[in-house]
Amino acid sequence: MKFFRVLDKVVLKIEEFILGYSVIIIALMVVGNALSRAIFSYSLFFANEVSQIAVIVATFMGISYAARKGRHISMSAFYDLAPFKVRKIVSTIIPFLVAVVLFMLAYYSALYVQNVRESGTVTSALEMPAYIVYIAIPLGFFMGGIQFLRNMWINIVKREDVYLGTDAKDYNDEDKTKIDEATHL
Amino acid sequence: MVATLLTIMVVLLLLNFPMMIPLMVAPIIVVFLYFPTMDPMILMKQFSTGIEAYVLLAVPLFIFAADIMTAGKTSRRLLDFIGSFIGHIRGGYAVTTAASCTLFGAISGSTQATVVAIGKPMRERLLKIGYKDSTAMALIINSSDVALLVPPSIGMIMYGLVSGTSVGDLFIAGIIPGIIVFLSFAIFSIIYAKVTNIPLATKATWSERLDFTKKAILPLGFPIIIIGGIYIGLFSPTEAAGISVLYAFVLEVIIYRSIHIKELPEIAKSTGLVTSAVFVLVAGGQAFTWVISFARIPQMITETVLGSDPTAIYVLIMVTIFFFVGCMFVDPIVVILVLTPIFYPAAMDAGVDPIHLGVVITFQAALGSATPPFGVDIFTASAVFNKPYLEVIKGTPPYIVMMVIISVLIIYFEELSLMLL
Amino acid sequence: ACGQNEESSGGDDGESGSGSESYDWKFVTEEVEGQVQYEYAVEFADRMDEKSDGQVNIEVYEFGGLGSETDQVEQLESGTVEMAVMSPGFTGNMVNEGQIFALHFLFPDSVAKTQEILNTSEALNTDLKEQYEEHNITPLSYWTEGAMQWTSSSEISEPAHFENFKMRTQDSPLILESYKAYGADPTPMSWSELYTSLDRGTVEGQENPIFFIGDASFHEVQDYMTISNHNNYVAMTTVNTGWYNDLPEDMQAMLDETTEEMQQWAFDEQNAQNEEWLETIKNDEENATTIIELDEEQRNAFREKAEPIRDYYREEISTVDGAILDKLIGEIEAVE
Ligand code: NA
Ligand code: NA
Repeated sequence: MKFFRVLDKVVLKIEEFILGYSVIIIALMVVGNALSRAIFSYSLFFANEVSQIAVIVATFMGISYAARKGRHISMSAFYDLAPFKVRKIVSTIIPFLVAVVLFMLAYYSALYVQNVRESGTVTSALEMPAYIVYIAIPLGFFMGGIQFLRNMWINIVKREDVYLGTDAKDYNDEDKTKIDEATHL
Repeated sequence: MVATLLTIMVVLLLLNFPMMIPLMVAPIIVVFLYFPTMDPMILMKQFSTGIEAYVLLAVPLFIFAADIMTAGKTSRRLLDFIGSFIGHIRGGYAVTTAASCTLFGAISGSTQATVVAIGKPMRERLLKIGYKDSTAMALIINSSDVALLVPPSIGMIMYGLVSGTSVGDLFIAGIIPGIIVFLSFAIFSIIYAKVTNIPLATKATWSERLDFTKKAILPLGFPIIIIGGIYIGLFSPTEAAGISVLYAFVLEVIIYRSIHIKELPEIAKSTGLVTSAVFVLVAGGQAFTWVISFARIPQMITETVLGSDPTAIYVLIMVTIFFFVGCMFVDPIVVILVLTPIFYPAAMDAGVDPIHLGVVITFQAALGSATPPFGVDIFTASAVFNKPYLEVIKGTPPYIVMMVIISVLIIYFEELSLMLL
Repeated sequence: ACGQNEESSGGDDGESGSGSESYDWKFVTEEVEGQVQYEYAVEFADRMDEKSDGQVNIEVYEFGGLGSETDQVEQLESGTVEMAVMSPGFTGNMVNEGQIFALHFLFPDSVAKTQEILNTSEALNTDLKEQYEEHNITPLSYWTEGAMQWTSSSEISEPAHFENFKMRTQDSPLILESYKAYGADPTPMSWSELYTSLDRGTVEGQENPIFFIGDASFHEVQDYMTISNHNNYVAMTTVNTGWYNDLPEDMQAMLDETTEEMQQWAFDEQNAQNEEWLETIKNDEENATTIIELDEEQRNAFREKAEPIRDYYREEISTVDGAILDKLIGEIEAVE
């Protein structure tokens, strides 16, 4: 058990690192390129590509983190109006189905990455093998699938609360002032 | 096939699936059922194509800039400044709320962020001076809509992405409709205050005003940089977003020192989380667009909905209805990603200006997300203010009426959108 | 709800030829209604329909819904669509040799002569074709959409005018290198932002065939158009190799024949569109555009700067040490 808790912590830290620094890298690249163009009349040839790589990595590696925090965008209107019991059932079954879908997507996108690898396509500016960038897609789906299984599990184990994610109790049962951070977008 | 798609989307959405699931699964199921010989790899590729567009880089950057400024004290500075000048007039606090939402909307690309940043401090002040809570909340929710209309706007970036329209132009085109919304809310607030006899606030002294102005002058540079920079061609929308991050950084970290540089990765992490949650939708949306284009569904649907040779106005009215209803139920980003590729070709055939169409669509997204039963901003407000749903929606009808009227104006007079271009 | 999509002859059914069978093919293009590629595909579809007595139904897709140009390349490769008009520029990180068409001042000044070379060149129709076939794409023909011209906010008639000039280009190392050779600051930028960026001066110039410049209204926001003919916008009519090889012989022959006929049609179409738009731009007094025609001496000044890029192509881009380029240069010299 201890091993899994440590592993969970490590994965969490890695995901947070990826999300935070992807945004910072994008900012540095875009700002750097804009300034370089304005001041030196010189475009950084790698800026767009590095930013795009950061976007792909952050988007897909963020799936499991957003799942953990219960922050995936959903049409929760009916859910929010439902009584505890219904919410509890929904929050147990849906994550399982989502996990199944994500594992399927992980499988197909892994095949896709394999295709790209075999085709030998390289990125246009850095000329690195394109498949390396795309590995984030199946990996992100897979990690997301694992996290949604955990979301299901915590709802099975902990009977007294509804969990939107392992780190997020359902706001419908919470003191609502706490969650303004969670309604960011 | 349309029925299959629709059923999958609606059922999965109602069951509270994360929206990325229907967007990603529906195309795959359609391929399996209707194009069994096709290689589903094509859809995997679309996931990355969807988020590779350069203009999308503006999304995390604008969110990051707004996050930095929210972590600092920018929103308070803005409303102190505005309040010190107009707070004392009849309905002054309400007008201040509308104005602050508009100004903060010119920093932030999302309505919900505006509800949080301006709504929280302004609601306290409105209650203190004697406004009913439902009135205060309705004002806040609806004024926050302006954030989607004035640049930067995530809704416009999404429309620009899907339709291939210039985001820079869309940004500029949204300014006047945004100002019209603000002005009508301001006038309504003044009349409302007169009728219900809201007491007057004390007038700020000129030294207070000077003090608040000094504190707000740098944050005020923000919209000037974004809008001005795009307008005179200094930079593209994405670069403008980058510059706004730089500006927020200089302001909050270097000048005001309200944030320590070590806190930035933490702020960036929350930006990254939101970015990921939005971009998985864009990725799925692209696969969805691909499959409906491949199957020629837009042509089928528009034939049914619009007839064979519709006029521009008729198309715009149908677009308005579909987007408004869609945004009442589902997140505006998803609605824009799914419905734009369906209606855009028909609108172009009918001679609608693509920028005008973008403003109309964004306007409906703003209106729909503040409209009961399921507008997302209502739920945000309910959560942020810790108030029951019914209390939150009680005051909204007058605003919806105003928005519908403005909506008609924007549809009929395309100059309102296009004259600044 | 969807009767028109019975995949009776998808990419890999391997149907055998018989007189009564019907064929549904998908034909994607990189342009939209009214533009040369799209109109080409529509005409192609009409001719096939007529020749086959309605047996062949080709659905033409304009650019947009099916993803980026490179996505469309992959869709042809995988047989999701059977036919495509594509620009070799968008296959550049798959078939490096395809970037050959981006070299400046390689083909003759005359568009007609260029088309003649595209029709007859062994370097292109055999050697380059083989390179594409390794990726399951068969180019049936190459054709020009017209010579590329520069539009700009300040006069461009000699290389020095490009000094620190912000030139919008496609995002390809070879193209960037070509403009750096003139001293310009090439800036990759997405198509949708280009009009606004030219208008506001974020970038100062761009390159395209005249019909494209006119169709996109770039002349409204630019003061100069330089008739540089520095290269041609070349398109290829391509098919999925496996699918094509599995077609019954009569269908293959019909396809080949139509492709052949369409060469002249495409030339006439681009010629008509380019001439018509040139007149329109010339006569547009509201958005006056100064048109500069480079003379031989001026062209040579640019050519001198552009020629070293051929070595860059041979060394950095080509996977066959420029063999196809060298053969093509020989063929071009023979025609000139
Ligand atoms: Na905004
Ligand atoms: Na002009």
